[in-house]
Amino acid sequence: MDDVMYLMNSLWTMVSAILVIFMIAGFILLEAGSTRMKNAGHVAGKTVFTFGLSSLVFWAVGYGFIFGGDANFFIGMSDFFYGGDLIEGAGLATTVFFVFQLAFAGIAITIALGGFAERAKFSAYVIFTILFGIIIYPVIAHWIWGGGWLAEHGKQDFAGSTVVHLTGAAAALAATILLKPRIGKFNKDGSSNNIAGHNQVYTALGVLILFVGWFGFNAGSTVSVDAAFFGFVALNTALAASAGAVAATLISWMALGKPDITTILNGALAGLVAITASCAFVDVWASVVIGFIAGVLVFYSTRFFEKRRIDDPIFALSVHGAAGVWGTLSTGFFATKELATVGKPGLFYGGGFEQLGVQLMGVVACGVFAFVVSYAILFIMKKAGGIRVTEEEEIMGLDMSEHGSYGYPEQMMLDQSKFK
Amino acid sequence: METYESIREWKDQHITNFLDDTLSLNDFHDQVMHKVMEIAKSKLKKDSPPCDFTWFITGSGGRFEQGFISDQDHGIVYEISSEENDAYFKKLGNEISYGLHITGYPYCLGNIMSSNPIWCKSLHDWQKQLQQWMEDESFETIRQLQIFYDARVLQGEFGYVNHLKSLIYEYQLAHPFLLNRFSANVSHVKNVIGPMGQILVERHGVYQGCVNLKYAAFLPYVNAIRLLSIKEGIFETSTLARMDRLIQLNDYEKILQNCERNFLDLLKYRLSLFRVASYSDTHYLNIEKLSKIERKEIKRILKDGKRLHDEVITLTSL
Repeated sequence: MDDVMYLMNSLWTMVSAILVIFMIAGFILLEAGSTRMKNAGHVAGKTVFTFGLSSLVFWAVGYGFIFGGDANFFIGMSDFFYGGDLIEGAGLATTVFFVFQLAFAGIAITIALGGFAERAKFSAYVIFTILFGIIIYPVIAHWIWGGGWLAEHGKQDFAGSTVVHLTGAAAALAATILLKPRIGKFNKDGSSNNIAGHNQVYTALGVLILFVGWFGFNAGSTVSVDAAFFGFVALNTALAASAGAVAATLISWMALGKPDITTILNGALAGLVAITASCAFVDVWASVVIGFIAGVLVFYSTRFFEKRRIDDPIFALSVHGAAGVWGTLSTGFFATKELATVGKPGLFYGGGFEQLGVQLMGVVACGVFAFVVSYAILFIMKKAGGIRVTEEEEIMGLDMSEHGSYGYPEQMMLDQSKFK
Repeated sequence: METYESIREWKDQHITNFLDDTLSLNDFHDQVMHKVMEIAKSKLKKDSPPCDFTWFITGSGGRFEQGFISDQDHGIVYEISSEENDAYFKKLGNEISYGLHITGYPYCLGNIMSSNPIWCKSLHDWQKQLQQWMEDESFETIRQLQIFYDARVLQGEFGYVNHLKSLIYEYQLAHPFLLNRFSANVSHVKNVIGPMGQILVERHGVYQGCVNLKYAAFLPYVNAIRLLSIKEGIFETSTLARMDRLIQLNDYEKILQNCERNFLDLLKYRLSLFRVASYSDTHYLNIEKLSKIERKEIKRILKDGKRLHDEVITLTSL
């Protein structure tokens, strides 16, 4: 029986890992669709590249830093260059667990790099991907999932609202502040312009692929088929995403007079991000509430950042940051006695403020750590060699300036003649 | 001797005296255009045109609602078609459009200008054309008909335009479906009042935080009142004059409640925009810069406009 469970757990987690890796396709479509034609090839290519690079870094040191033994306050210190050894007595194959975790690390850096969109040098992507994978992601993942100090406090983050999404968003915030807004985003009088993405259908398909992949992300984070609990997690995930999409539609309809497509798409994602921390700890009805609030929050969050002249082309700060914070805090309210296998029940289930406090501490500690370290890294990179392309290159488009070929050659050739 | 350039200079010097009320501003625009016409005629090296004709303006000028700057919208109806007449008025049309352009009325993007053969025809050809437009009932021709309905004679024979308008009136009496087509053509209004009663403003760009008065406020009033005027055979062109006539018909008192006052206020607001925007033409009113009372007033104007528009659309739809 143990053997059967071992195989089933491994199989389910492997399928989930594949779903999570497939989310990279969602990010490619999401980011490419939300940006302009002249950067489409760049967005697609760099995303595959940075996922590859991040995986190698994860294999070399990331995995060891997160889950290795002999840990100090920040990181573990064994299992570098993981060679495929299976840990005896584990519930699933270590190799499968490794691939699953590798996928998460890849998602986190992809979110972070969203803040670079349409203006960063390719070399900045290369260097930041490596350093994020060594210094930033593993520390936070270790704190929460690798038995670190937040794990000891009973921090609840089932599939990574904090570890993956907030960390990625905090890095994206540092990047977008240091890179400064794209040319043409803000006017001298402080008003902002809408730099529309070139293909809303891509963006929507990106969201849907992420939606599907998220079942691997959340339900797969059970890393077990025990009692088919993954079904419950998947149910909560589906409802939160749906509530997020509906809430975002309603709030944009009410506030703008028309249901705004970008907001609808962001709402679905915000629901997913928010339920990521809490999907295993809350009742089904609560997942609807959590998703709904996330959908409203993401709408106001995008307006908040725009008013502060922070250019966030693919809404990483709002979708992954604001919703990530809310999702992490949400278990502090909604975690039930029966489901709180980690930590304590939330405020509404007799747990008082204790769990909410732990969640808040986790958000602040991880958010600040990821932001400060990202800011420091990018600041040094900026001083050392620069992280932003030149004005001419930005206008030309990163497809041409960074890679020498266009994602849409026929469309772009006419414009290209301007730069000869 | 006057030139287009000297008229422009004169216009630029004097127009600022007329920014207090729309009526005198429009009288002034009329004066400028008359001068342009005189030069245009003199340039054709003929003492007088070869036959009777009328030169009309339409659009906001036709409705006596021009602001500080607006593009040109005009056309010509002449008595009778002949080789000589056709050639003369073609030339005259081109010359007027050019002259207006030089005097500071940009070319019309929709090409509603006497230089366009569609807008410069003999009376007989105009009759044929209107008939065709009404039978066509396409989006484009229905639009042209509504534009024509705002035509106001600036110079020449007064009877032609009213005669042509009466054709439209009579046709729609016999074919009620035409009114329905007119109604459908203008039934879309940019909605600027949100479900929670808030004013919806521009979200992006240099006009962030502003409401577009042209689309949100003027057009609902103008289009609704024009629809009723076509229905009732009212040939006046200014929206206020049309309202006056409609109110006399008794049927529309309730629908038109407050509308005259609102429209006057609207014209005032627009003129105030020209002053603050250093005389550049703009329809964008920044809501945040208004006082509480003004904001309430604008909201009332917008709401009433939407109500009027919706009621008239219902009334004129089959």
